[in-house]
Amino acid sequence: MASLRDLRSRIKSVGNIKQITRAMEMVATTKLRRFQDRAVASRPYAQEIAQLLGRLSAAMGDKLAGEPIFRPGPGKAVALLVIGSDRGLCGAYNSQLFAAFERWIAANPGVDVRCFVYGKRAYQYLQKRGGVKIERYFAEPPLEKLDYRLAKFTAKALTDAFNSGEYREVKILYTAFESMAKYVPTAMGFLPVQAASTAGDNSASDVILEPNVEALLGKLVPRYLETRIYNALLESITSEYASRRMAMKNATDAATDMQSLLKGVYNRRRQEGITKDLLDIVGGAEALRGK
Amino acid sequence: MASLLTLRVITPDRIVLDAQASSVRIPGVDGSIGILPRHAHMVAAVDVGPLRYVENGQEKALFVSEGFAEVKNNTLRVVCEAGELPEEIDEARAKESEKRARERMAGKKSSGEPVDLLRAELALRRALMRQQVTSGYGRQRVRS
Repeated sequence: MASLRDLRSRIKSVGNIKQITRAMEMVATTKLRRFQDRAVASRPYAQEIAQLLGRLSAAMGDKLAGEPIFRPGPGKAVALLVIGSDRGLCGAYNSQLFAAFERWIAANPGVDVRCFVYGKRAYQYLQKRGGVKIERYFAEPPLEKLDYRLAKFTAKALTDAFNSGEYREVKILYTAFESMAKYVPTAMGFLPVQAASTAGDNSASDVILEPNVEALLGKLVPRYLETRIYNALLESITSEYASRRMAMKNATDAATDMQSLLKGVYNRRRQEGITKDLLDIVGGAEALRGK
Repeated sequence: MASLLTLRVITPDRIVLDAQASSVRIPGVDGSIGILPRHAHMVAAVDVGPLRYVENGQEKALFVSEGFAEVKNNTLRVVCEAGELPEEIDEARAKESEKRARERMAGKKSSGEPVDLLRAELALRRALMRQQVTSGYGRQRVRS
């Protein structure tokens, strides 16, 4: 049985927690907004690049299959870029990602998986889990400071790994941001490049190409890969903040409920105490008068 | 009124420019490419440099980095990694990075580290091109 004083201190500590979770919720909301704006702003660029790639690969025709970057690599291993979060307190964001990872491993038994990792949580998880080789952990700069340069750097690291010939393919495991309340861990193919040639678009042969198809494609493919990475990173971090905001909102709501419950108990207990005291006094006075 | 073409400069962060131009000159990898309204469908690789265009009879410029340009249906879309309008370029910073790049090149040439040299050269070119955009801005008038 908690005393009145214990109850009081519990009410107070729940209030403090509520203040903190509310502040964290607000921080997550602003950051979420910021990353979302950037995701929206990057869309026209990514679209243009993807369209150009489609057009150029159509212009390349059969020669396209000869380009090594469009073919599975000679190696046996599969490189997997896992994008997790650096910090916790973001609800089920990481555990969902890890569950998706396990599902993917189960669906591809016997594959030599080598991981490229973003996010401290993902790194710790994979290290503890064992069974997969961690090829590289991108710790600096953190995902929080994500910009296009970072995406470029990552894309280059992955492309270099693919070009080394050790891998069959490169995949990305990231969290796709579908809406404020829906974020789905997704495994996406990265390399070899799957060019969705925009067939039906007026025949590519009458386009003037400056300087020529090969040179253009050689420049375009890295840009295309960068936009894919940029997008995957942006969506992951947006999902992380959406998840964190939700978790903090739930925590704040739970604290509010807890507070009102405790207050109810406290008031009832206080009143009981007062009633008992009064009864004692009245009883005492009655007894005295009766003498 | 002469016919115009739509010029749009798109980078990963934003759409830098959306204008109606009567002529555009883009820095192609094999030299400058002039584009007038109703140009044929074309895809071109773009190099680091000043992109000059004429809007309302006035020549304007902006800085673009490596990317691509596509002309189609009287619209020129320049898709590049970075694009900066002249008023956004920090001239002091460009000068500073020019100096830094020159120093690095002078220092590295003797010890011979090829990768760093390439990086310094690219940085130097970007710095010089940025300065070109700011200095050339508004000086030239085009008669039309």
